[in-house]
Amino acid sequence: MIDLPFDPIRTAIPLFIALVLLEIAAGKLGRAKVVYEGKDAWTSLLLGLGNTIQTALMLGVIATTMLWVYSHHIFEIRMTYWWAWVVLFFADDFIFYWVHRTSHERRIWWASHVNHHSSQHFNLTTALRQPLTQLVVGQWLPWLLLIWLGFPPAMIVIQNGVSLVYQFWIHTEAIKKMPRWVEAVMNTPSHHRVHHARNPRYLDANYAGILIIWDRLFGTYIAEREDDPCKYGIVKNLGGFNFLRVAFHEWMAIFQDIARSPKHAAGYLFGPPGWSHDGSRETSDTIKAKWRERMAKTKPAKAA
Amino acid sequence: MEQGYLIQFAVSAVAIIVLASVAAWARIPRKVAPLDESSARAVIADELPDALVERVWIDAAGQAAVAKSGSEAVVLFRVGDGFAVRQAPWSKLAKADARDGRVIIRFGDPAAPAARFQLAPGAKSAPFSEIAA
Repeated sequence: MIDLPFDPIRTAIPLFIALVLLEIAAGKLGRAKVVYEGKDAWTSLLLGLGNTIQTALMLGVIATTMLWVYSHHIFEIRMTYWWAWVVLFFADDFIFYWVHRTSHERRIWWASHVNHHSSQHFNLTTALRQPLTQLVVGQWLPWLLLIWLGFPPAMIVIQNGVSLVYQFWIHTEAIKKMPRWVEAVMNTPSHHRVHHARNPRYLDANYAGILIIWDRLFGTYIAEREDDPCKYGIVKNLGGFNFLRVAFHEWMAIFQDIARSPKHAAGYLFGPPGWSHDGSRETSDTIKAKWRERMAKTKPAKAA
Repeated sequence: MEQGYLIQFAVSAVAIIVLASVAAWARIPRKVAPLDESSARAVIADELPDALVERVWIDAAGQAAVAKSGSEAVVLFRVGDGFAVRQAPWSKLAKADARDGRVIIRFGDPAAPAARFQLAPGAKSAPFSEIAA
């Protein structure tokens, strides 16, 4: 097994609890824009708990694979090298950006990640609303590259934890904007509200983990606008709070699609969410194109 | 299984019960008034901006609505303090059974399997055929 000298997630659990309570208190006292719906919060928190079960079940396979890859590493990088942490910070965040982007752009990974986006709310419990199948669909595999290069598995697990803990606090409407330099470099509540928004303008944007620079660099950055307030959830919102449906609805839909049209299985698995073999459904691209068309007809300046 | 993990799991389980209870107690959801025709039209316009809505029927509880949009029905129903919207062929609505003052429309969609409508006292069915006409 992988011995962690420090587990950021376990350490941060009291902080998660305290911040959720603080956010609710701020909403209750009218000090900030905070919206909580009981069933929604319960579902989000249950998904968080389910995610920890998934991690426990997959831990053996992941740790064994990581240690096997590490036994073939090519450079000697030790946890005591300060520069290794700096390099890892950027490398981990870069990989996170691409894994996250793929999770939105390919349906097999979206089927897992959609859980995190299916709430119609954006509060700190949304941060804990984690997928139940992202390890099963191999979203941890790209990090093996770093282990092969020589980063010890414990370093990777710690940095992953740091990234997850960082991303907790940005799931809130209570904070409007951070100072300009923070907004320029870091992922912030404002950037992440855009990421969770279902407004056509904001679809498929701001995939950052800690640094927003990747979105700026790869053309997926969209700024939050006051004239288009974020509406949260998914393109077709869920019809209830049944835990199993919330957790597995997209997998069920994929199986339904493949059963109806087996020869298009590859498209239904690896095409973008919303792809259909007869073009009868809408992807983010078609939704955005229609929105641009509408904006161009009505308010030319607003679509820019 | 690692003891540290079991402790983390147990603490997390207790914490979610506490947090969910506090979130429910706080009662800070969005304020959603019962649907009327204009609010139903506004929700549909927001969700399906290209849909041309003709007639609208609101259920007796003001929690769900059916609208005619071309050859299809637009079904709108409350989920928590928000709404879900689905388009469905009228044939699906024609199959909906009325029982105990309620009508259930089934979509065959894993993400939103059904929408429920409250009928007005004394009504035996929903006026879907009149809306579709």
